[in-house]
Amino acid sequence: MAEHLSCQEVVELVTGYLDHTLDAETHSLFEEHLNFCDGCEAYLDQMRATIAVVGRLGEADVPPVAREQLLAAFRDWRGT
Amino acid sequence: VTVYKFLRPGGMSTFTGFPWPLPGDGPGAWVEAPVEPCRSGIHACRPADLPIWVAPELFEIELDGEIVHERTKVVASRARLLRRVDAWDHRLRDAYARMCADRAHALARELPAWDATIDPLTRYGAALLGYMAARIAEQRGGPAAYAAERAHQAAWLAERLN
Repeated sequence: MAEHLSCQEVVELVTGYLDHTLDAETHSLFEEHLNFCDGCEAYLDQMRATIAVVGRLGEADVPPVAREQLLAAFRDWRGT
Repeated sequence: VTVYKFLRPGGMSTFTGFPWPLPGDGPGAWVEAPVEPCRSGIHACRPADLPIWVAPELFEIELDGEIVHERTKVVASRARLLRRVDAWDHRLRDAYARMCADRAHALARELPAWDATIDPLTRYGAALLGYMAARIAEQRGGPAAYAAERAHQAAWLAERLN
């Protein structure tokens, strides 16, 4: 088969694309897919927006109650 | 060989959003970016690459400096837009989409259980219809048929852009 990426493969590779860790050929196949697939282009935009918003959060932005719930959840997760 | 650059409306780069200096009375300003696979460099299309990268605006581009030929594109360290290709307007984009849809139907007719309708006037863009036609060709005849269909699309475009 000629080389193509499916939508599922694009979803799996999106972090590598954004981090510039894909090899040159996979990077090219990723962009070839994006050029015709509006759905995957929208998904990539959503990922970029999420990273931009989450990247601005600091520890002080997390309310104490939520912080304690998160820590408790991770304590439980580590113990199972 | 003429080399091309597809851009989004307003001269924006398709993937990076870079605002290209557009040509006016003469070529646009030179843009520089060191060639580094996956990370940097100015990407352009040879005529055979056009169907892969179809986008709303098309320009002729002059490349300079380090130039690397890849499977579906050329990457250079220096480039400037020479002129907008006025022939690539909405009428030609629609005609290209129609051609690709017609080819997809013709190629699919011999496949078992083919009952889908590909309408070039729906939300599907010209880039997707070109891909669909090539993939249907591949379904029938393997990778060589995919390449042949892409070559047919490229020849169709080149004939109308020059």
